[in-house]
Amino acid sequence: MQKYLLRRLIVSLPALFGVSVIVFVVMRVLPGDPLVAMFGAEGFTRLGESDRARIMADLGLSDPLPVQYLRWMKDIATGGLGKSFFRGDKVSELILHRGPLSAEIGVLSVIISWIVGLPVGIVSASRPNSFADNVARSLSVLFLAIPGFWLGMLIVLASLFWFHYKSPLLVVYLWEDPWTNLQLVIGPAVVLGLGQGAYIARMTRSCLLEVIREDYVRTAQAKGLAEGLVVIRHALPNALLPVITVSGILMGFVLGGSVAVEQAFGVPGLGAALVTAVVERDIIVVQNLVLLYGVIFMVINILVDLSYAWLDPRLRFQ
Amino acid sequence: MNRRAFLGRLGIAGGGAALASHLSRSRGIARTHEGTFELRAPESNPKRGGTLRYGVVSSPAHFDIHQSGTVANLGAQGPMYDNLIRRDPRDGQTIIPDLAYKWEISADRRTYTFHLRKGVTFHDGAELTADDVKATFARIIWPPKGVVIPRTPLFSAVSEVNVLNPYKIEFRLSEPRPSKFILGAIASGWNVIVRKKTLEENDYNLRQVVNYPGTGPFRHVSRKKDEVWILEKNPHYWNKGLPYLDRIEVYHFLPFSPELGAALLAGKLDYARVLDTVTVKRARQTAGMSSATYYQSVIDAVWVNDQKKPFGDSRVRRAMHLVLDRYVLQDVVKDMAPYLVGGFVYPFSQSATLAEELAKRPGYQRDSTAATQEARRLMTDAGYAGGLRNVDFVVREGPSWKLWAVAIQAMLKEALNIETKLRTVQISAFFEETQAGNFDLSIGAVVSTLIDPSDYFNAWYGKDGPQNYSKWHNPVFQKVVHQIDRELDDAKRNALVRQAEAILEQDPPLLPVAWEQLSDGWYTYVKGHNPRNIFGIYDVVRWDTAWLDK
Repeated sequence: MQKYLLRRLIVSLPALFGVSVIVFVVMRVLPGDPLVAMFGAEGFTRLGESDRARIMADLGLSDPLPVQYLRWMKDIATGGLGKSFFRGDKVSELILHRGPLSAEIGVLSVIISWIVGLPVGIVSASRPNSFADNVARSLSVLFLAIPGFWLGMLIVLASLFWFHYKSPLLVVYLWEDPWTNLQLVIGPAVVLGLGQGAYIARMTRSCLLEVIREDYVRTAQAKGLAEGLVVIRHALPNALLPVITVSGILMGFVLGGSVAVEQAFGVPGLGAALVTAVVERDIIVVQNLVLLYGVIFMVINILVDLSYAWLDPRLRFQ
Repeated sequence: MNRRAFLGRLGIAGGGAALASHLSRSRGIARTHEGTFELRAPESNPKRGGTLRYGVVSSPAHFDIHQSGTVANLGAQGPMYDNLIRRDPRDGQTIIPDLAYKWEISADRRTYTFHLRKGVTFHDGAELTADDVKATFARIIWPPKGVVIPRTPLFSAVSEVNVLNPYKIEFRLSEPRPSKFILGAIASGWNVIVRKKTLEENDYNLRQVVNYPGTGPFRHVSRKKDEVWILEKNPHYWNKGLPYLDRIEVYHFLPFSPELGAALLAGKLDYARVLDTVTVKRARQTAGMSSATYYQSVIDAVWVNDQKKPFGDSRVRRAMHLVLDRYVLQDVVKDMAPYLVGGFVYPFSQSATLAEELAKRPGYQRDSTAATQEARRLMTDAGYAGGLRNVDFVVREGPSWKLWAVAIQAMLKEALNIETKLRTVQISAFFEETQAGNFDLSIGAVVSTLIDPSDYFNAWYGKDGPQNYSKWHNPVFQKVVHQIDRELDDAKRNALVRQAEAILEQDPPLLPVAWEQLSDGWYTYVKGHNPRNIFGIYDVVRWDTAWLDK
């Protein structure tokens, strides 16, 4: 297993290198000037050519691209990840401050997606084309179709106008005040979880329908086992592998989706930080966050692969 | 507040210098032993204590107020600093004493002498002296290398700043300027007084200094980036009895954002600045809440690239100017923000053409038939009777500009057969593109510091004006502006403004779309403030007279 893990990590390196090069180049090729955010629109228009050149040099943006790239790699190696153009904040501090919220939202949304998706999928597959199945399938399609940020805004507005409620304004960590923290993360987690849950439900249904037709399931039914036991004990474990794969991929969507959903709920997580950084053209922050998202996505995929062997003993790490 | 009332207040502002010495007799100002006066809340029974939860954009890209151009700085930092003189927070207009308790203007209007209060201390305990004031204004007027201060051009006539004694300082002008312009520039909310020592220790650049000492009514406690900035009462504040509040928590919210409105309506904020119209309506309908809409120092406009054919032709620019139906444009965005119809001069200012007069002028009439006919004739005379194709129309990212761009695209096509291609760009790319001249038409907004035409005529329409994105130049206009800058007589100056406006109408440097207004909302227990009469959100930012009635 260790060899397998090592091999996967080594294989991931070129992909990460590719991500880093793409984001690095794109951020420097796209039009836009960070000095607008730094000086404000009025201040920017009053900057002379020499001022601009000097400030860009101070920011390290006048150096040749390979030099800038190597400097970034050095920042990563030292763990500081560089500093934001604005206010001089360390990117590593930004990630440490906001990352826990986004991580909580991600984990909670996966849990919610399984809690919602699996039962719905099982009910659908157990009674295909029944009323319950039709309702479950309709709801799945509905949540697949609804954009997360829109649903988020509806929830925010509904809770405001019906219950006069707005989530806390400040970042509170789980270990500081679990209840307040839950109020912060539950909204985005539910929205993202319902979207993912729809995928999980559909995948669970189709996988279970396939597995239910297998001989060993028929054997279990012939032995006289209860319907529920047949599904839970015999069919479901074998139907779960593709569902787990989908969950891994969906985590990527959670990372992407959280950017808009955090904005909709006003949660100051990494997604919101990324939006601000893109608007401000804070190149250092954007490139580090995108790379971080890439790393997380790859780690999740490796974990998903590792979980296969745990769930299916027939598979070995080759 | 209507335009007439606003003008009335402005008139008071114009006479601020003369009135200041008499203001001590008016309600809310207490005369003290040195002949200075101090502020009080406008109400007779202000209560002390409490925390004001204030929502405003307050996550600045840097912390140097002088170098800033956004409320992201003043929103949170404003209450920590004082000015030499200031706009009265109770009417938003009148210029009143601040760190200077009185001032004199020489008969030739070339020397302004300010007398500083004694015993004023910075938050670090050091006493304020004229050296600090000199260091502050010297940096604003003559910024050192690498420091860019948007207000510098306001002081182009100042030739010397001299310390006469530790409590007396004079500004000498190379040539006279209208005193209301000079006093307005000094009273601008941006021009806060900082310590000479602070500037020296930081190489005259405070961009990355989060907490530098001021003399203001509140002082820094803590800051959570992009979340909240906490300020506490300055117990040693020179204005005895102020502030009334113990503490201010400034929460960061983007302007017009639903989150800001939601936080106010849910009671998590006491006061919110720059609200969306939905929240404003809701606040007006809710018992115990209030709101106000006030003029902002911003014009939204379409710049026409004077350097590109055929837009260098004044007939083409005027034709486009004439076919914009400004009432429709105002209506298009009415659900997002309240805008005003206007021309090239702040429509609510003393210098403006009266609204009823403006409405008779082509380009501002409700019935646009005559204006369209004239526009078509101009295009024919210019040789473009068939219209124009492939006009590059750069649109600054933002809901209002995107909606306007589509409406203007349709108006130009329908009236003049001008076909435009919209190109929406982020704010960071917008200024890069417009400054580089990479556009035919470009829609966005620009801000001015003062309502005085000497400020924005130069900055927006002047030959080398930093916001003259069209790169427009009209020598006759330039000459008139030169006269406006120097004319001391109000009536003559207004006549010159009319003359300049007539030039701008015939040879437009830009196509005015609308003039901004902003809205605040609050719970009625927040007292001692009056945003209704302010001009822009940059001058009255201190919260020293605010109090909580609960």
